[in-house]
Amino acid sequence: MRADEASLARLMVMSQKGDRQAYATLLSECQRWLRGYYSRRIAPAQLDDLVQDTLMALHNKLATWDDSRPFLPWLAAIARYRWVDHLRRLYRADECELVTDFAGQDEEPAIAARISIDRLLGMLPDAQAQAIELVKIEGLSVAEASQATGQSESLIKVNIHRGLKKLAHMVEKA
Amino acid sequence: MTNNPDTLIANLVGDLKPVKPLSFAKGLGYSLAAAAVSALMVIMVFGMRADLMAGQFDPVFLIATGLFLVLGIAAAVTVIVMSRPQVGSDHGGWIWSAAMVALLPVAAMIVSLGSGRAMLSGDSLTHGLECLIIGGGASLLVFAILVGWLRKGAPTSPDRAGLLTGVAAGSLGIFAFSLHCADNDIVHIGLWHSAVLLLMAGLGRAVVPPLVRW
Repeated sequence: MRADEASLARLMVMSQKGDRQAYATLLSECQRWLRGYYSRRIAPAQLDDLVQDTLMALHNKLATWDDSRPFLPWLAAIARYRWVDHLRRLYRADECELVTDFAGQDEEPAIAARISIDRLLGMLPDAQAQAIELVKIEGLSVAEASQATGQSESLIKVNIHRGLKKLAHMVEKA
Repeated sequence: MTNNPDTLIANLVGDLKPVKPLSFAKGLGYSLAAAAVSALMVIMVFGMRADLMAGQFDPVFLIATGLFLVLGIAAAVTVIVMSRPQVGSDHGGWIWSAAMVALLPVAAMIVSLGSGRAMLSGDSLTHGLECLIIGGGASLLVFAILVGWLRKGAPTSPDRAGLLTGVAAGSLGIFAFSLHCADNDIVHIGLWHSAVLLLMAGLGRAVVPPLVRW
């Protein structure tokens, strides 16, 4: 059974006080949530690394949540920040090896509509969203994306760069 | 990074220590205290304006200094809110204060052009540079406090957090120095006092993001 917002918030309060049992449960629930959250957004081969990276970020930033605020939007903000950072690192490393088979369960909680990546991409200009989706999410090469969209290869690169920069800026607002 | 998620979780659990949640009130308190210390330092080192000492208040001084103070507080509040990640947070309130402060340089240009006065004559340049340099110096304590707070937090927009750190520090810094600067000329205030804000905003945007990424 999945933990709801109230249970997660309770576990987090106990974790902040040093309760290790509560923290272990919380991290397991967060891991499950994060796997669902990331499963359609990155290649399966990178899923474990990104989930673990996010869990470590959560661990290091435990003090940035307080019980006057809901837990899941906090977790979602951290997850999205790590996701955008991951995409930027991929972009910098010029790795375009994402695969198209992103099948898998995605049972995000009720706030999913609010925090969906589609919503984020929808806030970018069409050309930038298209370039990011084709190259960074569907795994096409820059040349293939250029053919598919009619944008030049250099324009695809520029649009990815600008789009990721904008995503990073709007990561909390959407 | 470990390949086994359970091992990672076990390690993180083993590493758990009690933490105190970052308090908004504490963050704001530190920032305002830093601004107050800066203002006291300015008064102690350079002295307070004679008209203030005599209990007289110039309207231009009151409006301009008040605008810088409000913008400084609004930007500092935004920086502190940004240190705690949350989907759906709105960090745009400070923009209205900034728009009001932007009226100062606009007014300075209109007055300067209308009266045919040179904006950068020799005397005004020397005095203006003094305000720019000392006002910038008076911003540094607030700047350091806000950077420290952001480093404890988890800002998810480091570039904007850096810019706003500079805006807050610059506004509160020139507010502090305005308690000494006896010039009530809108041309001087609009040009040189606003320049402190721009200088610090640029510094914050350039320097802070790498310091607060996580």
